[in-house]
Amino acid sequence: MTLPAEQPTMIEFKDVHKYYGDYHALRGITATIRAGEFFSLLGPSGCGKTTLLRTIAGFEDISSGVVMIDAKDMAGVPANQRPTNMVFQSYAIFPHLTVAENVGFGLRKDPRTKEEKAKAVSEALEMVGLTGFGARAAHALSGGQRQRVALARALILKPKVLLLDEPLSALDKKMREQMQVELIKLQRQVGITFILVTHDQEEALVMSDRIAVMFDGEIAQLDDPETLYRKPANRRVANFIGTMNFLPAKIVSETSQSIQVEAAGFGSFTVAADQASGKKGDEETAVGFRPETLTILFDDQKASDREAMATVEEVVYYGDMTYYDIRLDGAPVAMRLSMRNVPGRPVLDIGARARVAWSTAALVLFR
Amino acid sequence: MIKIGLQAEGTTESLGGTMAQGRLQRRILNPEAINGLKMISPTALYATLLLAVPLFLIFLYSFLTDGYLTIERIPTFGNYVETWTSPVFEKVLMRSLGVSMAVTAATVLAAFPMAYFVSFYVEPSKKSIWLFLITIPFWTSYLIRVFLWLVILGYNGVINSTLMGLGVITEPITAILYNANSVVITLAHAYAPFAILPIFVALEKIDRSLLEAGRDLGESPLMTFVRVTLPLALPGVVSAIMIVFIPTIGDYVTPSLLGGPEGKMVANLVQLQYLKLDNYPMGSATAVSSMAMVGIALIVGFAQSKLFRRVYGAFIGYSNAGLSILAALAAVLISFGACIVVGVVASGAFFAIVLAVAIGHIALLIWLKSQESKA
Repeated sequence: MTLPAEQPTMIEFKDVHKYYGDYHALRGITATIRAGEFFSLLGPSGCGKTTLLRTIAGFEDISSGVVMIDAKDMAGVPANQRPTNMVFQSYAIFPHLTVAENVGFGLRKDPRTKEEKAKAVSEALEMVGLTGFGARAAHALSGGQRQRVALARALILKPKVLLLDEPLSALDKKMREQMQVELIKLQRQVGITFILVTHDQEEALVMSDRIAVMFDGEIAQLDDPETLYRKPANRRVANFIGTMNFLPAKIVSETSQSIQVEAAGFGSFTVAADQASGKKGDEETAVGFRPETLTILFDDQKASDREAMATVEEVVYYGDMTYYDIRLDGAPVAMRLSMRNVPGRPVLDIGARARVAWSTAALVLFR
Repeated sequence: MIKIGLQAEGTTESLGGTMAQGRLQRRILNPEAINGLKMISPTALYATLLLAVPLFLIFLYSFLTDGYLTIERIPTFGNYVETWTSPVFEKVLMRSLGVSMAVTAATVLAAFPMAYFVSFYVEPSKKSIWLFLITIPFWTSYLIRVFLWLVILGYNGVINSTLMGLGVITEPITAILYNANSVVITLAHAYAPFAILPIFVALEKIDRSLLEAGRDLGESPLMTFVRVTLPLALPGVVSAIMIVFIPTIGDYVTPSLLGGPEGKMVANLVQLQYLKLDNYPMGSATAVSSMAMVGIALIVGFAQSKLFRRVYGAFIGYSNAGLSILAALAAVLISFGACIVVGVVASGAFFAIVLAVAIGHIALLIWLKSQESKA
């Protein structure tokens, strides 16, 4: 999943700003993307992720700052001269051309002979699993096939960076999951830097080596998927990536090694200093934890760390999992926890009393 | 549901007769089709009485003999022989075709940038205002617009007095009024909105991300236009050509007011024969002949545009037309030659050439069709 950190830099943003009239779309983006990386820009709609992608492609001019691709400043370089290719959200397959003509569109100035180009086109089609589709009319393709044509059309030019603008959002769920895996395999096979724009956090987690989470034109956090999930930088990121419970808390005392915290329902406990996220005073203090870090203890199971009594307030049954909204005795808010369903173990009813266990090591402290 | 059922029935039956019956049932006798026919019946009746019947009468007249002040019911081809061998008809018809082609070329070439501008450079919220402005000339009667051109193009008109005032010319230009030029200028102005709108619609339909994709795949803005925008706008251009070409060839008002003796067109000739010479059969034969010419011109145009598309495709580098185009051109030339020989022997040279062009292009269309189905 993770790449060696010593890869050379492929793309570098230095304090990139973009204004549309009065609207400040990108607010000082500074980041680097490494060569050969599968990088995702994740965020809600309107957060600037697509704008940022389009500044790489050359479709948007930036108001200030620097965008470098492969150590070259891209200021004033038009889209057709950049070493990037894009898979558009609508796929942008030319409707007046056949599949082969679409895939070969970018080869016009290629010095190779006609036969060599035709061979390259059929190889590209083979790579995306569309062998023998060359002569088909582009408008007769399904969504998944269009996507593959768009991929082949971009990859045949061997770009340094492949840009993917929400490429899977138009596909149904099954198809999407299948294409996710195929894209990962394809990226490993060709070794090109992939930059994916998506609003789907699951998609980003599944596919990326690193993810930049964006809100309001800024990068809120840039990390590998595991760090992002385990230790989100602030409550907004935590809410955007998966589900997180927040319990109001109070910091009792603090040393450079550890922090003493008190939270109604959890009682008083100590966390390591590196479990704290965010700058001091940014947000109301709270402890955050993922639903799967809480466990309901059945029969005579023992808690490995801490446990308390709780009441079940809501039950959502998913087949393989059950989500419970529980309220720890004395806690001001209900919290969601998830349990894997095991044969022979009953699903609790609303109103049932349960023993809930957790580990303070899995908590994140927001302050 | 009905459609599916009938189709299944049709395919299981092996006899051709029942299949034809099934098709008839599907096309005309199904409840939806009957409903549709009922709904268009008032319009259809109106069109039949006021359009089809008069047209049929003209067709009938053209095969009758002209007597003094009467029409004698003696069937003859004489009117057509006279029409197609007459140097006057040849000259006027060629002028009509020439004027229409010039008008079409001028209008479409001027309309494209206009439509492109409105589609690509005008803010979406202001597009409807622009389209509205384009239709403003329609607010005045066509006659008034024609007279306005008279004022602009006249001997002491706006253009001449301006140019003389500026000292560009010492004598008024007479080449711009009372001849084919003034007819072309006026018609091109009158038909501009009809050409702008279909091209605009075709351009509007182009997904803008296609143009970005063109840039992204390494093409300059100009080559993106050539390889993406233009081919996708072509249907609009073709309909603009048809909309301008077909009505202008039969235009009567403009040449009679602005054409002078040197700018008269086919419609003026028809009027002359009907009303001045009182020769209905000759007038009808002239009218039918010119209609046939429009049909032939359209076949020619259609075949040429198909051929053009192939040549264009090869030129911009995504088709393997190459040699096959040369073969097609050779085939057309040979068929032309054969037709001209046959035609010259049989009748007048003008008729021969028209026949040759028509047959040659029908052959070209059939050949292109066979090439397409092979691909």
